[in-house]
Amino acid sequence: MSDNLARKRKSAAAVPFAMSEAHRVPKERYYDRGFFELEKEKLWHKTWQMACRLQEIPRPNDFVEYEICEQSVFLVRQADHSVKGFFNVCPHRATQLARGAGSFPGGQVTCPFHGWRWNCDGESSFIYGEHGFAPECLKKEEINLRECKVEVWGDSVWINLDANAGQLKDSIGSAAARLDDVAIGNWRVKWWQETILNANWKMAQEAFMEGWHVMRTHPQLTLGAGEATPPDSLRYDTYPGGHCSFESTVLERDYVNFDVMLASSQLLADGLDAMAIDRDMKVLESIRHKLGPGDSIREAVAREMRAYNEGAGIPMPAGIENQALWWNGMVFLFPNIFYLPMYGNSLAYRIRPYNNHPEWCRFEVWSLTTWPRSYPQTRASLKGRFDKDDADNWPLIPIQDFSNIERQQRGLHVLGYQGHRLATEWEAGISNMHRELDRRLA
Amino acid sequence: MPVVTILPGDIEIEVASGETLAQAAWRQDYQWPTTCWGEMACMVCACVVRDGEAAAEPASALEEGCIAERMPRFRQLPGTRLACQLRVIGDGLVVEKEGVRPPVCSA
Repeated sequence: MSDNLARKRKSAAAVPFAMSEAHRVPKERYYDRGFFELEKEKLWHKTWQMACRLQEIPRPNDFVEYEICEQSVFLVRQADHSVKGFFNVCPHRATQLARGAGSFPGGQVTCPFHGWRWNCDGESSFIYGEHGFAPECLKKEEINLRECKVEVWGDSVWINLDANAGQLKDSIGSAAARLDDVAIGNWRVKWWQETILNANWKMAQEAFMEGWHVMRTHPQLTLGAGEATPPDSLRYDTYPGGHCSFESTVLERDYVNFDVMLASSQLLADGLDAMAIDRDMKVLESIRHKLGPGDSIREAVAREMRAYNEGAGIPMPAGIENQALWWNGMVFLFPNIFYLPMYGNSLAYRIRPYNNHPEWCRFEVWSLTTWPRSYPQTRASLKGRFDKDDADNWPLIPIQDFSNIERQQRGLHVLGYQGHRLATEWEAGISNMHRELDRRLA
Repeated sequence: MPVVTILPGDIEIEVASGETLAQAAWRQDYQWPTTCWGEMACMVCACVVRDGEAAAEPASALEEGCIAERMPRFRQLPGTRLACQLRVIGDGLVVEKEGVRPPVCSA
């Protein structure tokens, strides 16, 4: 055995409940406290993660707090419109400096305890009671706010708590390029809300790494086809770094039936207010009586969408309709964010541990869309936190998904259950995520 | 942009739409007294409206509540407003505030 191989085996063995078989996931990974603590230390403290959308902090001095387990940072828009991120703690006696979202009037970050202040670029601007301290207690480099790594991509701010971390593109590059191809940078918030789920963060997000649960979880989307619905109507891919995707195969096969295509999109507009939205439905409906015998439905949709977007001033890059993802699909960026694009819109999810507990998570949902260029850029804010079964505030489709996730978490603890068995064809993305996680934890 | 006059120095400050009087002062490098910087905690930024009250947005219930609860009774004069909350909708507002200083010119 070579030294390298020996080292590799040794480090893999050091990860508890490791993925020793690609298609089996040990159950303890979803509830074991030791595993959760290892994730905090080796994953969350060292990985690139999406901390906020740029739209949350549009003007200089705007800030938003980002929490991951016990860690807290805040992102601040600078006078030159760049963004800085700071560890959220007063260097005097640990008071948290920023809470939630807001703006720092006068550009002053102020500690509510003794009134120490910093400029929004992190430099100390006032130390109340300075003469009462020994000078070595107030060294400039220790009193200025400590920055974390920040990069901007996809109209979002990404942070890394590890000062030695590499670049964001080295972490998400291969899969992120797929989203650049569908103009992720043009997407803005239509709505954004969250729920708290009694499930491990990975359990919650794995529900969205495959599309074949639609037949039973979202029966309305099969339009009555039931068990005759083929489970393999999507193309699945995995990428180095733990990312995965699936996408429509419509570029290879076209739609067979206009009414089915229309009804499917209408279900998304009605049941989700995302991916397909009312604006798209008007365009799709306008096609019905333009189609002649033998005309390609897909080509008609692409043509009419482009004509509408150009007329409305909605950016639509040349050739974007030749990307399968533009028609429908999903890209998961390790460790915890999803985009589900369709027609210049996207649904997005971010899933994080909640309350520092392995069996609770915080699940955020965005409906993103591409607005006409003339629309004013307003500050995006969370609409609220709603119960997972609150039908007044959640569309039908997420309610259906949420209901399974907590039942899965319960099932983990049933005697005799050892762990998940994954479909080679449709669930490789889940395995890929877990194996990347093991590489991080080693 | 509406202009607010601050007595006793007859200082004039332009206030942009959406920002408060104190934010406008701080943005333009005026000194406007405060210790909490817009948190409605310190009451140090408070001023008294002397004229043109119609040019000011009325105080919110939250602002009034904070003044009632946190400001010494003897300072709660008629027309007292927190400059960090005071939004302006037109010209003609005149307020009195000690301690407002124009930007220091760096030589």
